[in-house]
Amino acid sequence: MKNRPELLAPAGDLERLKIAILYGADAVYIGGSILGLRANARNFTMDEIKEGVKFAHKYNKKVYVTVNIILHDKELKVVSDYLKELEKCKVDAIIVSDPAIMAIAAANTNLEVHVSTQKSTMNVEACKFFKKQGIKRIVLAREVKREDIIRIKEEVGIDVECFIHGAMCSAISGRCILSNIFTGRDANRGGCAQICRWDFDLKDNEGNKIEGEKPFTFCAKDLSMIRYIKDMIDIGIDSFKIEGRMRSIYYVATVVNTYRKLIDSIIADDLNESDMDKYEEVLKRVANRDSMTQFYNGKNDYTCNYYNGREELSNQDFLGIVLDYDKKTKLATIEQRNYFKIGDEIEIFGPNINIINMKIDKILDEEDNEIDVVRHPRQIVKVHIDEVVYPYDMLRKK
Amino acid sequence: MSKILVMPSNKDQIKNLLNDVDGFILGLKKLSVNMPSYYDIDEIIELNDFLEKEGKELFIAINKNIHNEELDYLKEMLNKIDSLNVKAILYYDVALVNLKEELNLKTDLVFSEEHAVTNYATINYWNNMGVKYAYLSNELTINEIKEISENANSKLLVCAFGYIPIFNSERKLIDNYFKTFKLDSKSDKFYIEKEDKKYRIIEKNNITEVYSDYILNAIKELKELDNISYLVFNSFDINEEKFEYFIKSYKFLDEKDIVKLLENVDKGFLYKEMIYKVKKYEK
Repeated sequence: MKNRPELLAPAGDLERLKIAILYGADAVYIGGSILGLRANARNFTMDEIKEGVKFAHKYNKKVYVTVNIILHDKELKVVSDYLKELEKCKVDAIIVSDPAIMAIAAANTNLEVHVSTQKSTMNVEACKFFKKQGIKRIVLAREVKREDIIRIKEEVGIDVECFIHGAMCSAISGRCILSNIFTGRDANRGGCAQICRWDFDLKDNEGNKIEGEKPFTFCAKDLSMIRYIKDMIDIGIDSFKIEGRMRSIYYVATVVNTYRKLIDSIIADDLNESDMDKYEEVLKRVANRDSMTQFYNGKNDYTCNYYNGREELSNQDFLGIVLDYDKKTKLATIEQRNYFKIGDEIEIFGPNINIINMKIDKILDEEDNEIDVVRHPRQIVKVHIDEVVYPYDMLRKK
Repeated sequence: MSKILVMPSNKDQIKNLLNDVDGFILGLKKLSVNMPSYYDIDEIIELNDFLEKEGKELFIAINKNIHNEELDYLKEMLNKIDSLNVKAILYYDVALVNLKEELNLKTDLVFSEEHAVTNYATINYWNNMGVKYAYLSNELTINEIKEISENANSKLLVCAFGYIPIFNSERKLIDNYFKTFKLDSKSDKFYIEKEDKKYRIIEKNNITEVYSDYILNAIKELKELDNISYLVFNSFDINEEKFEYFIKSYKFLDEKDIVKLLENVDKGFLYKEMIYKVKKYEK
């Protein structure tokens, strides 16, 4: 029997938390109103954290809160009270980078502490140190190789969490202040302005521009470990992390749902190549940038770099989300997210249904008038669907 | 009064500046990053003997992120360095804290986690773990440095002068660019440019390093603080003659003279409070 790893999803707000849980995440990680590294995500108020934890626990899932900024003195005074509040909310763990927060958590709470990837932990000696301090889990550096992970598991025996999907820092996490230098926004306190994605001129010492077909940039392609999930299960990684607290609900639903199905198939030993191709295709469609494996299998070469020069595609696949379904009339109430019309071939997917393929043949507006086109953002309409669908199911282009 | 430490560009510079400084910080080949020069262990042993005789202090930077495959070499180097009279080792990776305990090393450590030495509580956390020195991050305002210096239990090192490291990656970004677009260059020194500002970029030992477009000059401000044990002067990418002249004469130069001598000097983050939350959301 294979170990069943945790599937850990990002949740930028309460809606995405619910989506991630419903679509198959075993745990979500979120940011509170302060002390997290995504200061410009919507994030959660304390009441929302409470509600999110309650929701997750109802489904026997976990909520981790990122408290992973590098503190300056002025932030020190709020840490203790904030952690106590998180403990009252019954969060399952906090994700921490600054050891001062580890110490404050240990002195004032019984919170479980995970070490953030911001610490760029790569070796057994560092892991041993954290284990001695009572740390339960380490989010390993993105730069670790498969062999590093095996050795850490064997020699230290601490829970490890590894990224499987999403954007990659070009820098060693924590070793970049490009954002501070170029914009005055502190990367290590949640203000990262992603300067690594800017174009630069690369010049030699004499001032001659080194000119490729596209400008120089620091940027790395996104990570996709879909073809290595079985191997990652086999070597005993405890938690598979999806990056992207700033991503849309559609992205979260699609990526979580795909990895959920993939992991479950691997555990059940019934994964076939055609399913694998389908999962890969779905993930490619939801992405707006190129992705590949990187350090895990030693693929740290020039093919990992991403150079600008084409518009990043905004995803138009996501058509709408189901709010309700009337079994008598077979009409689903839908909130629109992208333009669709009568005659469109669509798919409906969700956590509790098999994928439904259909052609749209009837749309009603809010006054029950038949319409041909749904073009207004977040317009509420009713769509005829023969099979039963549920709230939070999603419509996408076929 | 703060002591003066120099990160030198080469061995000659160590000798040239011997009478003007209190000690040096040296990079160890294969285990250091962001240093102007690197030495193998035999050279370190030789320089340690020399500096000891001259009554100067020696710090060694072992400040790269360590992979498992480097641990055996790291342990070997730590044991060798521990037999010398080195003042302390600057570390980034907490593996060194664990190894100090496991190998029973007597050499002190300097908490030198580049951009994470930003508050006194973290410095004191490491102090409680036996780390008696801390090298402050460069992204601090002068008021923050002052507050830390008044509350930290460790001896503090602060960069007073030099280009500052702003980016490290395990990706070979220059090489990757050349390979992707099948480019060639006779040069082995490069910089990146944005809005007429130039940032040195180098690749060494599979690490890409990028540096600030300016030379930090925080000497005047830091000299006014009481509890800074060491001021660090980094020679990286500065003309050797100018750097040596500067070290010998900075005490007699006013701010205008320094600007005239080195042109692109700047106060860095000393007077720039960083922001990090730029959006407001309705809750």
